[in-house]
Amino acid sequence: MNDYQYIIKTEHLYKSFGSLEVLKDINLAVKKGEVICIIGPSGAGKSTYLRSLNQLEKITSGKIFIKDKLFLHREHNRTIHRVDPEEQKAMLLEMGMVFQRFNLFPHKTVLENVMIAQMLVRKKSKEDAKKLAEEIIARVGLSDKTDVYPSKLSGGQQQRVAIARALAMEPEIMLFDEPTSALDPELVGEVLNVMKTLAKQGMTMLCVTHEMGFAREVADRVVFMADGMILEEGEPKALFDHPTNEKAISFLRSVL
Amino acid sequence: MRNLKKLVDFKNWKRSSLTVAIVIMATAALFVILSILNVSEQQMIDRASDTMKQMIEDEKDSARKYVTITYNNLGVVSYISFSTSGASALKESYVGFAGSIYSAESGGWKFVGQMVNYTYRMLGSGENLLHGVKLTLLLTTLSMAFGSILSVFLALGKISENKFISKISSAYIFFFRGTPLLIQLFVVYFSVPGIFGFSWRSLFNAADPEAVYKGAFLAALIAFTLNAAAYCAEIVRAAIQSIDKGQNEASKALGMSYGQMMRTVIIPQSIRRMIPPLCNEFVMMIKDVSLVFAISLMDITTISKTIMTSEGNYLVFVPALLIYLVITAIFTYIFGKIEKRLSIYE
Repeated sequence: MNDYQYIIKTEHLYKSFGSLEVLKDINLAVKKGEVICIIGPSGAGKSTYLRSLNQLEKITSGKIFIKDKLFLHREHNRTIHRVDPEEQKAMLLEMGMVFQRFNLFPHKTVLENVMIAQMLVRKKSKEDAKKLAEEIIARVGLSDKTDVYPSKLSGGQQQRVAIARALAMEPEIMLFDEPTSALDPELVGEVLNVMKTLAKQGMTMLCVTHEMGFAREVADRVVFMADGMILEEGEPKALFDHPTNEKAISFLRSVL
Repeated sequence: MRNLKKLVDFKNWKRSSLTVAIVIMATAALFVILSILNVSEQQMIDRASDTMKQMIEDEKDSARKYVTITYNNLGVVSYISFSTSGASALKESYVGFAGSIYSAESGGWKFVGQMVNYTYRMLGSGENLLHGVKLTLLLTTLSMAFGSILSVFLALGKISENKFISKISSAYIFFFRGTPLLIQLFVVYFSVPGIFGFSWRSLFNAADPEAVYKGAFLAALIAFTLNAAAYCAEIVRAAIQSIDKGQNEASKALGMSYGQMMRTVIIPQSIRRMIPPLCNEFVMMIKDVSLVFAISLMDITTISKTIMTSEGNYLVFVPALLIYLVITAIFTYIFGKIEKRLSIYE
């Protein structure tokens, strides 16, 4: 049904900040519709990995494929393979990103936040952008807040707007960078519910999270990262109940 | 329309703004009454002494004029003086206020008369745009407007990843902040025409007696604009860099280009943060404009200095200071309003 095997794949991804190696040989292949949760102690490189996928971080070396097509290939901090900028932008837009600290545009209303990139980047007319924006805002359950500025919303509501903003670009992959870590405990649920609905609808998701319950329930695969490496991966049940790696065992013991 | 309704519905006003409104309206009413009561020029001429009237009468048909009549009307108060030249110099002056005319030869009315006369001259009344307060306002607003537009490009240049553009912008800012404004004005006014072989005056119609002022004004405008751009560039740069990095990342993740991000996300947010320091810069500029005395433009400072030199009245600086204070107060108020309006989303 798809003319590609993996929607996103990384090979031998390395990233270092100066002499500090943050990512060491990360290999991960994700199929369409898969939900991957990345867990691990802080400083493991989980966020850096996610951010290097959509080029917010420049990797030191490695290859990234989107739908089996080479998106980025760097060696020793040099880009080896140059993709046509238009094509690269199109591939970048396959990924939507949700940040830990929401990063909504504070000077735009909720509706404008969800519309602006559609109009600027997708070159949609105002009417089309508004139509889709209203539809997506309804999906995250904030139809009554369209004309409100983000500062008037709770953290959970802001994060739902951020999800709506990313979805409005109609990406095939959603990257979640600790989407609930900055939220008050009672607001976590509403964001996770939106994410669960997305997962059910077949969205491919890569999610860095500390919500083990969510990972166990929703993920198709859980990846455990520590010290910049993937130490263990597998189905949630197997990984949570019978971890084999020593670090994973001690990490899971401390969080569960 | 909604604003108008809010305005009319004064019962819901804040108490402080109600007080301010009452004070403003009372002052305005007082001004209106006083200006209605103000005596006309003819009435004041009629008040002149018989000798003076006789001299004016005698001169009506002759070509030579010995009597100089100075009439200054400030709306609520007016001043007239008659002075004769020649062997027997005579001088008479009067102040018209609230329907009455007082002799301004001595005492309090003399002081009032002088102040009215000085204020009138410093406001540049009866002269064209390039005199007095009008010159100060024109030069300040125009050079700040052009300067702040230029400064956005300089600021973006300075933080550019392109080394060459960044160096050039930094050098420009360093130069204009590192040298005195007066010398920059001299360079633009004297050196630049010297090097390129033209004169500022010759850019305008030679038959126009104001050509020399227009030329000097243009030179001053260029110098002040270039200088303001350098100072504002640092303000703009600091404001842009103070915006949370997350905004930058979110824009990139949504696929926006650098230009789109700057135009729609970063700069609109940074403008509100620029307003207080820009207001500061503006107020500085109002006073820096007084440097035009060096190229013989007649701004408030130059005029007060001229009066001081010719009449020896050290009280001339009182109205000068008051005029500056009023201008500064008005602009501080306007900038405060703008800042408030821009912070609706916070």
